[in-house]
Amino acid sequence: MSAYWLLVPLLLPIVGGAVLGIVKPHSRKVMEITVMTVTLLTSLCVAVLLWVRPSEEAFILQLAERLTVKFFLDGSSCVFAGLIALLWPIASMYAIEYMSSEEHQNTFFAYYTITYGVTLGIAFSANLMTMYMFYEMLTLVTIPLMMHGLKYKAVVATRKYVRYSIGGAAFAFIGFIAIAIYGETLDFRLGGVLTGASGNRTMLEIVYVMAVMGFGVKAAIFPFHGWLPTASVAPTPVTALLHAVAIVKAGAFAIIRITYYSFGVDFLHGTWAQYTVMGFAIFTMVYGATKAVKEQHCKRRLAYSTISNLSYILLAATLMTPAGMSAAFAHMLAHGVMKITLFYCIGAVNVKAHKYYVWEMDGMGKRMKLIFGVYSVAGLSLIGIPPMIGFVSKWDIGNAAVAEASPFAYAGLVALILAALLAAAYILEIVVRAWMPREAEKTTDTVSTGETSAQETSVQEFLPVGWRMRLPLVLMAIAIVVGGIFSVPILRFLADVAMGIR
Amino acid sequence: MLGPWLIPVTILVPLVGALLLMIPAYRKNISVVRTTTGAFVAATGLLVVAVAMLGEAECEFLEILPDMPVFFRSDRTSVWFSVLTVAMWMCSTVFSFEYMKYEKREERYCVFSLLALTALMGVCFSGNLITTYLFYEIMTFASFPLVLHEQTKEAVSAGLTYLYYSLAGAFLGLVGIFFLYRYAAPRTVSGGLLAYAAGGFLRTDLTDSERSLLTVVIFLMLIGLGSKVGLYPLHGWLPKAHPVAPAPASALLSGNITKMGILFTVRILFFTVGPDFLRGSWAQYALLGLSLLTVFLGSMLAYREKVFKKRLAYSTVSQTSYVLTGLYLLAPVAAVGALLHVVFHSIIKNLLFLCAGAVIYKTGRTKVEQLKGIGLIMPVTMVCFTVGGLALVGIPPFAGFISKWYLAAGALDTDTGVLRFLVPVILIISALLTAGYLLTVSADAFFVPRKEGEAEEEKREEPAKGPEVSLKMLIPLVLLSAAALAFGLFPGVLTDFLNGIMDVVF
Repeated sequence: MSAYWLLVPLLLPIVGGAVLGIVKPHSRKVMEITVMTVTLLTSLCVAVLLWVRPSEEAFILQLAERLTVKFFLDGSSCVFAGLIALLWPIASMYAIEYMSSEEHQNTFFAYYTITYGVTLGIAFSANLMTMYMFYEMLTLVTIPLMMHGLKYKAVVATRKYVRYSIGGAAFAFIGFIAIAIYGETLDFRLGGVLTGASGNRTMLEIVYVMAVMGFGVKAAIFPFHGWLPTASVAPTPVTALLHAVAIVKAGAFAIIRITYYSFGVDFLHGTWAQYTVMGFAIFTMVYGATKAVKEQHCKRRLAYSTISNLSYILLAATLMTPAGMSAAFAHMLAHGVMKITLFYCIGAVNVKAHKYYVWEMDGMGKRMKLIFGVYSVAGLSLIGIPPMIGFVSKWDIGNAAVAEASPFAYAGLVALILAALLAAAYILEIVVRAWMPREAEKTTDTVSTGETSAQETSVQEFLPVGWRMRLPLVLMAIAIVVGGIFSVPILRFLADVAMGIR
Repeated sequence: MLGPWLIPVTILVPLVGALLLMIPAYRKNISVVRTTTGAFVAATGLLVVAVAMLGEAECEFLEILPDMPVFFRSDRTSVWFSVLTVAMWMCSTVFSFEYMKYEKREERYCVFSLLALTALMGVCFSGNLITTYLFYEIMTFASFPLVLHEQTKEAVSAGLTYLYYSLAGAFLGLVGIFFLYRYAAPRTVSGGLLAYAAGGFLRTDLTDSERSLLTVVIFLMLIGLGSKVGLYPLHGWLPKAHPVAPAPASALLSGNITKMGILFTVRILFFTVGPDFLRGSWAQYALLGLSLLTVFLGSMLAYREKVFKKRLAYSTVSQTSYVLTGLYLLAPVAAVGALLHVVFHSIIKNLLFLCAGAVIYKTGRTKVEQLKGIGLIMPVTMVCFTVGGLALVGIPPFAGFISKWYLAAGALDTDTGVLRFLVPVILIISALLTAGYLLTVSADAFFVPRKEGEAEEEKREEPAKGPEVSLKMLIPLVLLSAAALAFGLFPGVLTDFLNGIMDVVF
C-alpha cells in the first residue's frame, strides 16, 4: 500500500472541518452528520492504515536542503494515531450534545475537526521538521476552541496558553536546530541520529534539556504547567479531548520522539541531562497530585491530575530504556482514555446539574447513577487498582524503574507511589461524597441545619443526559476494564515498538 | 478435570449473589434479601468444603500481565484460611439478619458483605503474587463501605482513613512485587513467574548488595501488609474503623479481614522469599520489635479504653500482632502457634464483637461502665462473652492457651538472642492486661456491688421475658463459644494439619 494514503486521514478532517466552517449549515442535524461522518471515516482510514502498514515514507515537500516534510507510519506513530483515532469519534459525539445550547457551534466543530487532522499530522511525522510544523499548527488551530464564547476568562486563559506555547516552541526550536546541524538527518531513527557528535557533547546535552522543557510546555511539566489549570474554563469537550489527550499527549509524544529517535538514548543515558529531566518529571508527579488534592473545583482538580499523570509518562520516557519507552506509551494510552472519561463525567454534572465544586457532589450518585458509576470505574483505574488499565500502565512504569535500578529511578518509584496515594485522595473524595455522603445524626429527625445536603435542598430538576453523552461514557468504562484484563497483546506490541521490531 | 474449576466457582458465587442483590426490583423485600444472602454464603461454605476435599489443586486463568496469569491454587494454607473465613461469615451473616433491623440500608450492607466475601475467597485461593494483590485491593474497596455504613461524620472519616491506610499499605506491597518480579528465579511453572512455592522462589545467585536492597524492600512490604493487620506504625485506622462499623461488620473486619494481611504475610515469608531469607537479618529483629511493641501497646490501650467496641478494636491490634510475632520468628513451632492463633482469635473476636452488638441492640449501651450488671438482663450473651474472654487470655482448657503455648515455646526454640525471652514475657504481660480489659467486664456484668442504702428492687434491672435477644443472634454466640472450648480441648486435629504445612515450608 502506498504511503500517500496517509494523506487521506490527514486531509479529510482538515478539509471537512474547513467546509463546515465556511458553509455553516443552519440545521444542527446536518452539522452533526457532517462532523460524525468525517470523524468516523477518518478513524476508519487510520484503522485500515494501522492494519496494512505502508512500508515507505510519503515525501511531500522540500522546504530547504535538509528540511523536508515527510510522513511515515512507524510503531510509535501507530500508537499515537491509534489513540487519537479511537477517541475522536467518541469525543465528538459527546461534544455534539454538550455544545447544544451554545452559540457558534459550526465554527467550534470546524476547528474541532481540523484539530483531528493536525494531531494526526504530528503522529504521522517522519522527521523533526514535519513534527515541529504540525506542533505549531496545533497551537494555532486550538486557539479558537479555547476562546470559545469569548468570555473574559476564556480570553485570558487563551492568552496564557499562547504565551506559554510560543515560549515553549522557541526552546523546542533550539533543539530542532541542533539536530539539523549536528545530526546525520532530521529523520526519526530509533537509537538517535547524533553519531559522531561527541565533540559538542555538553552543548548538545544543554540543548536537549531545553528542547524537553520546550516541548514539555504542552506536556505540562513543572514549571511550565501553569496554562493547563487555567485552561479548564474552556468547554469540557475541549478540556477533555485537547487538554487531556490531544495537546498534552502531543507534548509527551514529541519528547519521546526527540529522546529516542533524535538525540538517542545511547547519547543521553547516564548523563546529567537525563537526570535533570527525570528530576523535573518526578517533581511534577507529586506536585500536580498535591495541588489536585487541595483544589476544590472539579475540573481544575482533574487538570492538576493531568499534570501529575503526564509526568508519569515523562518519568518512564526519561528512564531511557526500551522498558521505559513502552511503559511511557502504555500510560499515554491508559491515561488518555481514563482522563477523557473522568472529564466527561464531570462535564455532564456541570452542564446538566450545574454543579461545579467538590462539595456539591454530595449524594449525587443516587441522582446520576450512570455518570458516577463510570466516574468511579475510571477513578479507580486512575489510582491504579487492578485489573483496570491504570494498573497495567502503573505496573509497567514501576517495573521499568526497578529494572533501571538507578537512584533517580528509585526516586521515581517513590514518586509513583506517593502520586497514586494522592490520586486516591483526590478521586475517592468525590466518589465517596457522591455515593455515601455524610448525613445528619440519627438522633435528630428534623431537617439538617447549617450544612445542606444536596438531595434535600435542591429542588431544581436536572437536565436529562442524552444518549450521545451516555454512550461514550459506557464505551470508555468498558474499554477501561476490558483493556486492563486483556492488556497483554497491547503490552507485547508496545515492547516490540520500543525494541524497534514493529 | 472439573475439580480445580471449583476454586474460581467458589470465588464467583458470592459475587453473583452481590450482583443479584444490586437489581433494584429484587431489593424491595428485605426477607428475600436476607434469604438470598444467607443462601449464597451457605453455598460458598459448601463449595469451600468441596475444594478442601480436592487436596492440592490449581487453576490458571487468563494472563493479565506478561508472564503473570490470574492463578488459583488450593493448598493447606488456603484451606486453613478459607474454611475459617466462610465459617465466620456464616455466623456473622445470621447475626446480622436480626441486628441490621437497628440500622438502615440493610440491602446495601448485604451487597458489600458478599462482595467482601468474594474478595477474601480470592485472596485465600490465590496462587501467585499478582492474584493476591488483585483481590487484596478489591477487598479494600469491598469492605470500606461496611465501615462507612452509618454515614455519620465519624463513620465517613473512619471509612476514608481505612481506605487511605489500606491503599498505602497495598502500594508498599506493590513496590515489593516490582522487586520480587525482578529477582525471582526464572522458571516455567503454572502460575507464572510469581507463583508461590513452598520455601520461596528467589534467585539463588543474589549478590550481597542485591540482598541488602531486597531486605529493605521486603521489610517495607511487610510493614505495608502489616497495616491491614494493625501493626505499628500503620495501625492508626483500626481503632477508628472497627468500632464505627455495624457490629457484625466489626466482627468480620477484626476477625477475618485482618487475617488476610496475615495470609499475605505468610505467603511472602514462606512461599515467596522463604524463611531463610530474613532469618538473622536486621529486618527480622526490627519486625519482631514492632510486633512485640504492638502486642504491648494494643493491650495497654485496650485496658484504658472506655468505649466498649473500641476496647475490642485495640484488643485486635494487640492479638493480631501475636500472630505476626509468631510468623516473624521464622520457625516451625512458632509458625504453628501463629496460625493456630489466627483461627482462635478469629473465632473469639467474632464472638466478642457479636456480644457487643447484642448489647447495643438490646440496650443501646456502648461504654464499658454502662455494662455493669448487664449480665442479669442478658445472661447468655455475657456468659458467651466470658468464655471468649477466658479463651483470649489463654486459660486452659479454652482455645487461646494452646496457641500461646506454641508461640512461647516456639520463641524459646529460636536463635534470636534476647528476643527469645522477651516474647514469652510480653505474652504474659499482655495476657494479664487482657484479663484486665475483658474479664473485668464479665465480672462487673454479673457481680454488681450493692451500694449503701439502696433498695434491692431499684438496683436490679427487670429480667427479660423470653430470650434476651432473638435466637438469630444467640445461636452464633453459643456456637462460637462452643468452638472456643472445643478447639481448646481438642487442638490435635488442627496442629496436625498445620504441621503438614510446616513440613513443606521449612
